[in-house]
Amino acid sequence: MDQETWKLVLEYLAVKENPGRSKAEIAMLEQKLNDWADNDAERLAQLEEALSLWEDTAQLPDDGSWRESFAIIKQQLDEAPAKKLKILKWWPAATAAAVIGALVFFVTGNQKTAVTNQNAIAWVTKTAEPGKIINVMLPDSSEVWLNSGSSISFPQNLKHAGFRTVKLNGEAFFKVKRDPAHPFIVKSQNIQTRVLGTSFNIRAWKGSRPEVTVLTGKVAVSRDSAGAQSSAVHLLPDQKAVYDLRLARLLREDVDDAKTSVDWRTGKMNFESTPMEEVFQIISRKYAVKIITDQSFKNCQLTAKFDNVALSEVMKTIGLTFDIHYTINKQTIYIKGGKCN
Amino acid sequence: MGENNTAGFNDDMEQKFDEKTFEDLYRRMYPTLKNYALYLVKDIEDAQLILNDVFISIWKNGTILTNEKAYLFRAVKNAATNYHKAPKANLWHIDSEEEIPEITDMKETPAQALQNKDRNRVLYALIDQMPERRRLIFYMYRIDGFSYKEIAVLLDISVRTVEDHLVKGFEFLQQKVLKNRFEFR
Repeated sequence: MDQETWKLVLEYLAVKENPGRSKAEIAMLEQKLNDWADNDAERLAQLEEALSLWEDTAQLPDDGSWRESFAIIKQQLDEAPAKKLKILKWWPAATAAAVIGALVFFVTGNQKTAVTNQNAIAWVTKTAEPGKIINVMLPDSSEVWLNSGSSISFPQNLKHAGFRTVKLNGEAFFKVKRDPAHPFIVKSQNIQTRVLGTSFNIRAWKGSRPEVTVLTGKVAVSRDSAGAQSSAVHLLPDQKAVYDLRLARLLREDVDDAKTSVDWRTGKMNFESTPMEEVFQIISRKYAVKIITDQSFKNCQLTAKFDNVALSEVMKTIGLTFDIHYTINKQTIYIKGGKCN
Repeated sequence: MGENNTAGFNDDMEQKFDEKTFEDLYRRMYPTLKNYALYLVKDIEDAQLILNDVFISIWKNGTILTNEKAYLFRAVKNAATNYHKAPKANLWHIDSEEEIPEITDMKETPAQALQNKDRNRVLYALIDQMPERRRLIFYMYRIDGFSYKEIAVLLDISVRTVEDHLVKGFEFLQQKVLKNRFEFR
């Protein structure tokens, strides 16, 4: 059965199921379908099959998948005591009120507009536009450097909150003001990072593996899928946690020098077998450009170090490495061709 | 200090909204809304978070909505839009019209499902193999009863594209069914 006929069938069914439509209209469409079938047995069978496909897709089989997801909501809404225990085990010093504060953040904190509308507490969002790196002083005197194209949200009453909870999109370096009674929590992508007072870097761009690298102090990183918490990975200086998206697991790794993880603050870019898709993303954020390629660079990787150099220099190097032709037109780079090693 | 002053806490949660109604609403709306959120944000965990936020805020408002379907889809769309306010990371990516190859490693392959002889289930197993957008349109049209026009608005595409996807979707089902005519009764 061709697409034109399917269109006709769908139109016929829609009209037929709509009580507002006239009998004449239905009859007219029926006639059209009959004309197409032309009393041919094969075609009539196809029409019949089409109508039964319509019938048999009217309802969604209930596979129960909604239940699991609904359970998460219910848990967030009414099982505060269970979570309280879990968290108290982690941070015995935390007060009950502080725990409730953090729990409610699970409920509302994932979506900043929802928070602003539902509660009296206002949330503030700071964004570093592409091409810019900004320094943000939080109400509790913690300092944050935001990489280009990243944003951070925090409640205005952060200083007095039981848990100092903030939300990060992208990459940032944190210097957290020490306050053991009020743990500092960063939620980013699928992980959350808890500290008392340290400095660390979080990379959590959408679509790539989130990483937390510790420069000083102690940090606990855990998964954060829809509010559910798993056990934490504890990190010391010169260690990092990487969230493996495929395994859905946090892995701890040693790093030679954690300071290189914050080289971006001085405009440097370090690529180490970095997928080209990610390289293009990093460049487009850093230089506030749009990159348009005429082919996919899947499975291409780049290893290179750039100091804080001009875009043209970066492009020249990439151009040579992958045999790419490119033109830069205002804020857009058009890339043609390209071969992986 | 600060014990009673916690971030984002609203302690007079109203329970007017009947729990059963809430659960029913969730069960009915979950499949398509989830697909819709996923379509908008392209990330399963984020889609789940957005969906949960929308439902939680409904629960907190404690109100039953008059046009719940339209409201929920709009709410998810708004949430996804705000969520995207953070600069898009995939600027370089050219958004081609999706013709994703069929996914083969599903939980239940059509062949296995065919043996269950449960036509409705088999058909939805096939529908779930369709490219993302087509599958979503199929759900919105067939399960939620949106019109071509409503779907077009929610997805920011043309009415003609909606129709085209549906036609191709049904055509795909028909071909699969014909191919497996003998097992498929």
